[in-house]
Amino acid sequence: MGAHLVRRYVTETDTEPDPARKFEFDPQFGFAERKEREMVATQEQMNLAQLPLEQRDFCAHHLLKLMKCKRDHWPNFLACKHEKHDWDYCEHQDYVMRMKEYERERRLQLRKKRIEAQAQAA
Amino acid sequence: MRTSHPLIAVSMAIVGFRRWAQALSKGQGSGISALLSGSRAASGAAKGNLPGPYPKTPEERAAAAKKYNLTAADYQPFPDQGLGYGDYPKLPDRSQHERDPWYDWDHPDLRRNWGEPIHWDFDAYIRNRVDTSPTVLSWSSMCKQLFGFIGFMLFMFYLGEKFPCYQPIAPKQYPYNDLYLEKGGDPEKQPEAVKHYEI
Repeated sequence: MGAHLVRRYVTETDTEPDPARKFEFDPQFGFAERKEREMVATQEQMNLAQLPLEQRDFCAHHLLKLMKCKRDHWPNFLACKHEKHDWDYCEHQDYVMRMKEYERERRLQLRKKRIEAQAQAA
Repeated sequence: MRTSHPLIAVSMAIVGFRRWAQALSKGQGSGISALLSGSRAASGAAKGNLPGPYPKTPEERAAAAKKYNLTAADYQPFPDQGLGYGDYPKLPDRSQHERDPWYDWDHPDLRRNWGEPIHWDFDAYIRNRVDTSPTVLSWSSMCKQLFGFIGFMLFMFYLGEKFPCYQPIAPKQYPYNDLYLEKGGDPEKQPEAVKHYEI
């Protein structure tokens, strides 16, 4: 918790990635082949449900299911635990993917630095 | 009980009437109260009690001090700058908050005794208004503490802007070319393709 901040501002200021800036490495670099993320809910569906922009991500189909469940079972607010869990799990996986992307960027930066140091030493 | 002789009653009445008439002619009273009781009221300015011009000679100063119930040493008129204070005394600018709350004042709410000289701005210095009591800390100490704290907080906010705290995660990924159309992009133009991958 916070080790990345120490790395960013104190110890490794040149290699630690800044999430505000675009990541510079090719997404396919280091992978044999990468699977694209699938989007299940269509734009029309999301428009009809009037989802706010922040919620129109790759888990939107779970959210739409949850909203329908809630609408159908109101006022029983305890009825949609399964759908809620599905949406939460999808969001959790998305968060873990974000962490992995950050870590990948960090390791590639360190690797780049090592290669440069080697080239200079040579 | 024996009724008093009618003659005695009448003579008593006449004596009373004479006394009343004498008191009327002698007294300096004014108004109904004087007529009825034969004595004057204690209210209203007596002769020589009103404020006068600025005292120039020591005798005038002594007389003015006596008029205002001050000792000659304590009596200090306002400087004669043509502002209209006359011989009114310049009393220290202390509000009634600073007077002893436990002393048995004649007027406890005003914390003032009868006959005490009244401050020029007495209405500002009553206990509901301006308070000149000493503060717990000095003015400089209070200023230092307040501005020190504000300055420190501003400095910390500046540092927070310069070195923000964030979670070690990549930015969130959105579908449909980062929601090009939803964010108001031109539907005729073809946006640059944005692909996202699983990891």
